[in-house]
Amino acid sequence: MNGSDILMALAALALAPLIGGILRGLDRILTARMQGRIGPPLWQPFYDFIKLCAKSKKASHRGPVVWAWAYLVLTVTAWLLFVLRQDLLILLFILAFAGASLALGAFSVRSPYAHFGAYRELLQMLAYEPILLLAAVAIFLKTGSFMVGDVLGFEQPLLISLPLTLVAVLIALGIKMRKSPFDIAASEHAHQELVRGVYTEYSGPTLALIELTHWYELVLVLGIISLFWVIPLWVGIIIALSCYFLEILIDNITARLRWSWMLTVGWSLGVGLILLNIVIVEFFGLGLRL
Amino acid sequence: MTAETLVGVLVLLPFIVGGLSFLIRSEGLRKPFVIAFSLVMIIASLWLFLEVYNYGTLVSNPSPVWEYLIFAVDCLLIGYFLYVGITNKHYLIILLAAFQSVSFPLISLPFHKQVKPVLYIDLLSVIMCLVISLIGSLIVVFALDYMRNHEVHHRVNPSRQHIFFFFLISFLGAMNGLVFANSLFWLFLFWEITTLCCYHLIRHDLTEEALGASLRALWMNLAGAVALIIGIGLSLHNFDTVVIQELISSGVVGPALLLTLALFCFTGFTKAAQVPWQGWLLGAMVAPTPVSALLHSSTMVKAGVYLVLRLAPGFVETQLSAAIAIFGAFVFMVTSVLAIGQSNAKRVLAYSTIANLGLIICCAGINTGLAIAAAMVLIVFHAISKGLLFLVVGTIEQQVGSRDIEDMEGLITKLPVLSGIALVGMISMLFLPFGVVFGKWAGIQAASEPVTTWFFLIVAMLVMGSASTLVYYAKWMGRLISCAPDSSGSSEVKAPLAYGTLMALAVLAVGLSFLVVPLVVNVIDPAAVAVGYEEGFKVVGTALATPWGAFPVWPLFVAVVLALVIPALVVRLKPAEVSAVYMCGVNVDERHLVFRSAVDGHVQVETGGTYWTQWFDELSLNKWINAAGIVLLAVLFVGVVL
Amino acid sequence: MGLITKSRIKSPWIVHYSCGGCNGCDIEILACLTPLYDVERFGILNMGNPKHADILTVTGPVNHRNYRVLKNLYEQMPDPKVVLAIGACACTGGVFHNCYNVLGGIDKVIPVDVYIPGCAPRPETIIDGVIMALKKLNEKGSKAE
Ligand code: SF4
Repeated sequence: MNGSDILMALAALALAPLIGGILRGLDRILTARMQGRIGPPLWQPFYDFIKLCAKSKKASHRGPVVWAWAYLVLTVTAWLLFVLRQDLLILLFILAFAGASLALGAFSVRSPYAHFGAYRELLQMLAYEPILLLAAVAIFLKTGSFMVGDVLGFEQPLLISLPLTLVAVLIALGIKMRKSPFDIAASEHAHQELVRGVYTEYSGPTLALIELTHWYELVLVLGIISLFWVIPLWVGIIIALSCYFLEILIDNITARLRWSWMLTVGWSLGVGLILLNIVIVEFFGLGLRL
Repeated sequence: MTAETLVGVLVLLPFIVGGLSFLIRSEGLRKPFVIAFSLVMIIASLWLFLEVYNYGTLVSNPSPVWEYLIFAVDCLLIGYFLYVGITNKHYLIILLAAFQSVSFPLISLPFHKQVKPVLYIDLLSVIMCLVISLIGSLIVVFALDYMRNHEVHHRVNPSRQHIFFFFLISFLGAMNGLVFANSLFWLFLFWEITTLCCYHLIRHDLTEEALGASLRALWMNLAGAVALIIGIGLSLHNFDTVVIQELISSGVVGPALLLTLALFCFTGFTKAAQVPWQGWLLGAMVAPTPVSALLHSSTMVKAGVYLVLRLAPGFVETQLSAAIAIFGAFVFMVTSVLAIGQSNAKRVLAYSTIANLGLIICCAGINTGLAIAAAMVLIVFHAISKGLLFLVVGTIEQQVGSRDIEDMEGLITKLPVLSGIALVGMISMLFLPFGVVFGKWAGIQAASEPVTTWFFLIVAMLVMGSASTLVYYAKWMGRLISCAPDSSGSSEVKAPLAYGTLMALAVLAVGLSFLVVPLVVNVIDPAAVAVGYEEGFKVVGTALATPWGAFPVWPLFVAVVLALVIPALVVRLKPAEVSAVYMCGVNVDERHLVFRSAVDGHVQVETGGTYWTQWFDELSLNKWINAAGIVLLAVLFVGVVL
Repeated sequence: MGLITKSRIKSPWIVHYSCGGCNGCDIEILACLTPLYDVERFGILNMGNPKHADILTVTGPVNHRNYRVLKNLYEQMPDPKVVLAIGACACTGGVFHNCYNVLGGIDKVIPVDVYIPGCAPRPETIIDGVIMALKKLNEKGSKAE
């Protein structure tokens, strides 16, 4: 790691929440517009964040607070791994650790609603984890490396040979963004049987911490999607943003579905699409690496 | 001391000490004696490791007299198995033992060639020997305290500990012999001895369940041994040799050789409890915990994967290799999925063991330098973490009176030290940057390389299994750490020896993960090179790199410390900051998990674990899984012919 | 205006508890969320959980059974927090005044910051009340600091 890397890491550390927050603000405006409303200002997520930080600390146990920190730090670690062009699989494993921390935070106090959410959070991970890992494998097969750095240097756009993989990743993105029909663990919209699932026992500054983590996570997942078209990079970013828009659209036109359905989609459609893609690329020579 | 003396100590001393602890009936006397023995084993194995590490592969030819002894012991063992079968009226055992009693003399008596070398001790062998002697000895030490409590709990009088320790300690010798052996006859002998020890250890409590489980373990392992005998017969018939090294480096890879190797691998699968042979290992958990810990971590099942790994150079780039990889990946996936539906902690661990062995076998089947190195990494780290977890569960069982995950709710407040160790064990099984997951990562990296036509299926099964692993361990951790706001008061009884071994294993699991770079570069990679592969890893900066990926060990450790250790130490709540758990506002008061019912009663809140048994039900899934396992095994043999 | 003050004013999250009025007020509150009134313009969100909320809106009269729930919910909210009594029932007991089971307005149980009269109050009134509550919220927040 040299000087420019350190600078870049620092910049990424500071910029990601900014971008993530703005994207969340956009999300809320877009959602409102799709529902015929005007919606909050773009900076709304930041107001929420600051307000939460200024609230008094309250928690039913110290466990959730500890795990919330783990969730934040590990997600940031994954993001830094991405920015420093490290191994995609390592990044995803660390992200899984982070995701599990969120569930464990909910587990660590005996709250019926939080436990409810934690189990569902684990099911969500069960559904999307194979998709993301396999997508990394598909990218490896194309580029010959798991390192983000090498993927960034790969001439040919990945999307051309891995379109089905992107579709599968969209499923994972939906789950990771906690959008309908996959907002299984903690529905984004209040007043439901879940209360707030995994987030039930969090409040004030700790909730702000989790919100911050979500921003990092969002930027990271969109960053992974933009790997599908890296030269020139702005195409990839546009693709990622279009995927984001698509998820918001889907969120607004679908209802929350059962977890069993999510699992079926993840393991059959998600995994199946990537496998199909790999088979096509490897054996029918479409965009063959060798 | 010469290296050969060390080998002698490592193989024979356990039998001698085992015999002596059979004779020493006094607990007070046995304790220092066994501890001293453990120390000797650990030192001897480290010493032997250094010898081999510094001076290269060690070959040794004990005097030919041993061959007669071995033949005699073999015959005695087979006779004993026959006897067990007859007294228990277990026809399968009778059949298998009878087959062995006919076929074994038939193939071994006419054979008079001088076997050279009889013992072949390369880095892989000494790594195994270290795992066996180090972790095995720790488990034996742990057993000292454990068995006393066990007999108090079960009101065993007079004590049967001497029998227990005889088999437990001899087991280590048999395992060491097994990993040193280069002659198939020696291998067979030690193989049968492990079967014998396993049988006796499982039936130790003499309950009906234990007897049934031990017989099942016996017949399944005998079935494996039958395949071993047939394999030896084929090897003699076709190649006129019983030397493993000659067999795998003969150069001509034809159907005859592959069939022999396939039979040996089949033997390995039975011992490693791979689907459809998982039954015996699942049944084995009725035994006292040190037995489970020993069987699952450093001995017995590791013998199975060791054999496959040892033979792997013999079937590089063959269909057999691909079939083994698919089989291993399949086992990894299905057993991980099955574990989600289990609430018995030992059963969860058992499935986790089978899954990890499947992963190791899969790596052996992928059969590249990276994959073999990954397999060795997994063997080492899995042994440590799994040994630790079993011992923890056993200790929990003695203090709580149950091994059900449901009864471990909120254990972190009742038994903080023990639960803390359990969490360390699980985290080391589950998350980066710890060794087991590092091995898994390397495995997935190796599986991604299109070395076989079906690599995409292999890697898909690996990632699905990996996701399932996350779920069942996280679920369990969730039960352990779930506590109420008012929870307080620990009732921990800390037996010094037991807790000492637990701590040692926990430190080993974390410490060795921290030192994974020197470990891999200095030991694992050379070991893979020594058995004929190219180097799997290299060091780039501070990271451990594969040809297409990199694992930055120390930065990740820093991240974990920042993420978990520091918050866990720093975050404290002031009494004023504690608020009630949300229960729709019907809480009776702030600190207790009690709510007001519709008729104004006070109801204690209960939370339970979820196992989604409608999806992950063992009974209904098992027949499909076993059928698929049998089909895959058949494919393995068909793959040889093609 | 400091950043915290501004954020506090621009991000009032609401938890709503109906003590059991006639449901008229509840419907009016929900009306505020609809496109016509769209209170999310002001950052107002309806939370299902007192631990996430800044403003507790209560409708209906408090009675012998539900006052405990009301109190619990109030106590679980982190500071600073304000309470809105929405509708005549919540303010004074309204049409349920003097019923044998009713305690009266919710101020019998928890401190109320803003009373919004009406039976039922119009959504405009409710929004107006929320805006008034924000001033109080900020005062409380500044005092705590
Ligand atoms: S104030 Fe009027 S509308 Fe509101 S709850 Fe009471 S009776 Fe119903």
